[in-house]
Amino acid sequence: MALAQRKPLNLEKFKIPRGRVIIFEELCKGCELCIEYCPKQILELSEDYNERGYHYPVLKSGMEDECIYCLFCQEVCPDFAIFSEKVEGEGHG
Amino acid sequence: MRVGVFICHCGRNIASVVDVHWLKNEAAKLKNVVFCEDYIYLCSEPGQKFICEKIKELNLTHIIVAACTPSLHGETFSRTLESAGLNRYLLEIANIREQCSWVHQNTPKIATKKALKLIEAALAKLTYAKPLTPLRVPMIRKALVIGGGIAGIQAALDIANGGFEVYLVEKEPSLGGHMAQLSETFPTLDCSSCILTPKMVEVAHHKNIHLFTYAEVKNIEGTVGNFEVTILKKPRYVWEDKCTGCNDCVDVCPVIVPNEFDQGLGARKAIYIPFPQAVPLVYTIDLENCLNSKKLIVCENCFKACGPRAIDFLMEEEEVKIKVGAIIVATGYDLIPLEALPEYGGGRYQDVITSLDLERLLSPSGPTGGVIRRPSDGKIPKSIVFIQCAGSRDPEHGRPYCSKICCMYTAKHALLYKHAVPEGKVYIFYIDIRAAGKRYEEFVQRIVEEERVLYLRGKVSKVFRKNEKLVVLGVDTLTGRTVEIETDMVVVAPAIISNNGGKALAQILKTPIDEFGFFTEIHPKLRPVESPAIGIYLAGAAQSPKDISESVAQASAAASKVLALFSQKRIALEPIKAEVDVKLCKGCGICVKTCPFGAIKIIKKKKKKYAQVSKAVCQGCGSCMGACKFRAINVAHFTLKQLFSQVDALLEG
Repeated sequence: MALAQRKPLNLEKFKIPRGRVIIFEELCKGCELCIEYCPKQILELSEDYNERGYHYPVLKSGMEDECIYCLFCQEVCPDFAIFSEKVEGEGHG
Repeated sequence: MRVGVFICHCGRNIASVVDVHWLKNEAAKLKNVVFCEDYIYLCSEPGQKFICEKIKELNLTHIIVAACTPSLHGETFSRTLESAGLNRYLLEIANIREQCSWVHQNTPKIATKKALKLIEAALAKLTYAKPLTPLRVPMIRKALVIGGGIAGIQAALDIANGGFEVYLVEKEPSLGGHMAQLSETFPTLDCSSCILTPKMVEVAHHKNIHLFTYAEVKNIEGTVGNFEVTILKKPRYVWEDKCTGCNDCVDVCPVIVPNEFDQGLGARKAIYIPFPQAVPLVYTIDLENCLNSKKLIVCENCFKACGPRAIDFLMEEEEVKIKVGAIIVATGYDLIPLEALPEYGGGRYQDVITSLDLERLLSPSGPTGGVIRRPSDGKIPKSIVFIQCAGSRDPEHGRPYCSKICCMYTAKHALLYKHAVPEGKVYIFYIDIRAAGKRYEEFVQRIVEEERVLYLRGKVSKVFRKNEKLVVLGVDTLTGRTVEIETDMVVVAPAIISNNGGKALAQILKTPIDEFGFFTEIHPKLRPVESPAIGIYLAGAAQSPKDISESVAQASAAASKVLALFSQKRIALEPIKAEVDVKLCKGCGICVKTCPFGAIKIIKKKKKKYAQVSKAVCQGCGSCMGACKFRAINVAHFTLKQLFSQVDALLEG
C-alpha cells in the first residue's frame, strides 16, 4: 500500500485549529480574492446579491466546520468584509 | 640488464597442468635471462627468501615471477624486491595460473606453450621498465561519513573518538536510519531506540563530529587524502540554532499528512519531527504539504507561535564545501515496494503490510502505542500469516539473493505478536530457516517449540480478500498438500534492495556497484570494507543485506581502516601516473575531455600550449593515453612502448 494512500491509525491524536468564518455581506464588493486564496477552498460566491448589488462569499455547504483559522481571507480582503473567529476546543483532522 | 625468472608450482594448481621443468629450461634461453628456477610455493616465506637470496647472489636487476594473478600476490613480490634492495617497479608478474593452468586444464601441452608466451611478454614489457618512486602528498586527516543510520553513526563515533574530525551527512531530518524504526532487536529483544538513541545523542554532542542532517552529498572531486566534497543542505525553513524543539508550532499547524517514518500508518503535521527521539531535535517544514509555497505565504500560524522566531519561509538551499581525506559510504537499504508483490495482494489490500510496517505497529512510540492493529479497521488481528522471501531468492522479481535478516525478524515478530495476543494464531511460510549468527538458531528454536507458531515450508501462490478477511493460498511442501488459510492480516518480508539514491551516489563517488545496486568491495573475503576506489570504505547494508550487529562490526572495521590511513601525515601514492611529452603535445585538449578525474589542464607557456597532469589527482587509468592522437601521453609503468612490445611478444611466432 503506497504510503500516501494509507489512512493513519492515530488521527484522533492530531488536532488542528478551527475557525468560524464571519462575513459582512453588505461590505463586500465581490472581488473574490478570499475565494481564490482560501487554502482549504471552502468559500464560494453566493447566488444572492447584497444591497450594493454584488455577489458575496458564502461557505460551501457541508464545509461549515472546515475553516482552519489561517486568517488569510481577513488578510487579503480589501474591504474588511470577512474574518474568522477562533473556535475553542479544536477539531480533529 | 640481468633478469631472474621464478616459476611457481602453486602446489598442484600450476604444476599439474603446465610442464614447469620444460618451461624453466625454455625460459632460461630467453635474452637477458641469467637465472631461471621453479619453486613449489613462491609466496611462502622460504620462497620469498629464495628470490631475495638469488637477487643478491647473482646481482639480478629485473625479476619475472610466473605465478598467480598480481592482484593476489603483486604486493607480496614487490616487497620481496624491496627487501633485496631492488626497485619494486622492476618486477613483472606472468599470470600462469588464472590465465593459463586454470582455464586450459584439458590441454596441458598448449597451456605450457602459452605459459612461455606469457613469460616472453612479461620480459618484453620489463625490458623498458624504469625504477619509480612513490609520490608523497600531504593528507587531510578528516573523514566524511555518508548516511546517519547505525553503520554511519558507529563509523563516525569510532573515527571521532580516534581524535579526527568527521563530517556526517544524513539526507533525512533526523539521524537513526531504519534502526530507529524498529521495535525490538533479535535475538536479545533489546529495545531498538533504547540502544540507538544514546549513540545518536553522542554524535550530536561530539566535539569532533560535524553533523549535517537534511543534507546530501552533491559532488566529490579529488582522490584519497584530498577529496573535495560539496554538501547540499536542503532548507528546513527552521533555523537549527534557534529551534528549541518545544512543539508549539505543531499544535497550531492545520495540515495533517501521513508520516513516512511511521510507514504512513501514523500521521504528522506539515511542520514536524519524524519521531520524538529525533536528533537533532529541530523541526522541519515539509513545503510540499504546507499551505504556503515559495511564492505565497498563506498561513503564518507556526511563525506566530514560534517563541524563538526560528521559522523562516525564505530559507534557501545552501552548498557547503569541505575537504576530507577518506570517505565511508553507509547509505543503507530500502525494501522492495509492496506494489511489486501483487501476488501477495501488495498494494491492493490494506491489511497486507510489510515487516517494517509491523515494526512501527509494535513500537511503543509508534502510531498505535505498540498495539498491533489492522490498517483497514484498527481491529487487533486474531491471526497473522507471515510470508518470507517475498521478492528475495526469487529470480522472477530480479532478486536471486537472500535478504538475510528476514528469518530472524519474522521469528521475533511471531514471538512479539504471541506475547501481545496469546490466543492469536501465527502461520509462517518459509523456504529455509537461515539463522546463522550468535544465538540466532537457539532463538528460532525457542519460538518454534514454545510459542505454538506454525512454520509451513513452502511458497504462497495467491492472497485474496473474502469479506473482511484475507485468504492465503499456498503449498506445504513437507506434506505435499495445498493449504488455504483465512487470516486477519498478512505480513510479507520484502526483499532488501539497494538504497534509492545509491546509484547516483556511486556515480558521484566513481565507485562500482553490482547488478543490484549494492556497493562493491575490492575482495569479498579479504578486503570486505574497502571500495575499489582507494580512500572510500563501505559500511552496513549499502554493501549487501546485513543485520545490526554485522553493520556495526563493518562500520568499526571501516573506521579502523580510516584511522590507519590517518596515522600518517602524508600519503604515498602509486607513481603510476600520466606523463606528457611536451615536445609531442599539440595542446588539442582531447585528453582533458577524456580524463574522468579532471586531472588534466591545458596550459600556455612560451607561446606553446600543452597538457599538464596533476599527479595527485591522476589515477593512472590510461584513458588519456588511449585518446591522444600524437602519442604524447604515457602512463608510467604502462608506457606505449612497454605495452606494444608486450603485445608484439605475444603475437610473435
